Amino acid sequence: MKSNVAVMADEDTVIGFRLGGIKEGYPVKNMEEAGKVLEDLINKDFSVIITTEKIGIEFRDTINKLTNERALPMVIEIPDKSGSIKRESDPMSELIKRVIGVEMVK
Amino acid sequence: MAQEMIEGINPTRMELLKLKDREKLAVKGHSLLKEKRNALIMEFFNILERVKGSREGVEATLQEAYKDLSDAQMVMGDLAVKKSAMSVKESVNVEIESRSVMGVVVPLIESEIGQKNMVQRGYGFLETSVKLDEAASKFEESIKLIIELAEIEKTIMLLAIEIESTKRRVNALEHIIIPKIENTVKYIEMRLEEMERENFVRLKMIKKTMEME
Repeated sequence: MKSNVAVMADEDTVIGFRLGGIKEGYPVKNMEEAGKVLEDLINKDFSVIITTEKIGIEFRDTINKLTNERALPMVIEIPDKSGSIKRESDPMSELIKRVIGVEMVK
Repeated sequence: MAQEMIEGINPTRMELLKLKDREKLAVKGHSLLKEKRNALIMEFFNILERVKGSREGVEATLQEAYKDLSDAQMVMGDLAVKKSAMSVKESVNVEIESRSVMGVVVPLIESEIGQKNMVQRGYGFLETSVKLDEAASKFEESIKLIIELAEIEKTIMLLAIEIESTKRRVNALEHIIIPKIENTVKYIEMRLEEMERENFVRLKMIKKTMEME
């Protein structure tokens, strides 16, 4: 199955990924816009959606609801240019802890 | 000891047979689910090996890429960078296959993201700076890593969900359903034996009274 990668992020990030060769860039200015674009993108045929951590945190519930059951699209959150957000608990290691029952050193 | 039992069961032979069948099924299901859980957890550990450090790798590469990008923006101006970015050719080609791990469909991504040289990128040389080339190649590298990471994280997520629900089912069978059925079977067997003894005594009594007459 051939499919595409989309980037939804702030303008600079989108430009960066365009330079890297992803044409499907959707620059968003504020969170309201991001919400709308996100839903659009999830319903389109993208297989990977790259977004920033800030947007990810804002729409955690939507993303989880829309992507948990399906294998596609994958939504991946990356830090934007101000650097990664220091979170108290990384959702990934939280999940691993819950499943295995012991803390894994990542 | 108060033992949990299935409620509303009549102590008859019919019910006993039915319950014994159910017990067999439950035990079989339990061992199958246990195997499934073990296999899933093994797969999970394999993939955990791969996720180690890959998020950090992505973050580090992206940091460099952003730094080069803002350098390029400083040298060339925002607009020129934007213009150049627009003219870069689409080069990310992702193919998604899926693979099944114990019934869980996880994605497998084949990505073709070639590192390109300056000519292939498609923007002009005259008004662009070296920093832009560096930024572009860093972004290409990060995209590759990001897509890899996306595959791994998605797989972990799907496996984790499946492991959780399998675990819950195994535990429910092991600690609730099977003991409940066992207790009910024991109860019915006891009741049946008791009824047999009562019957025996009753027969004896009848025999005695008949002899006395």
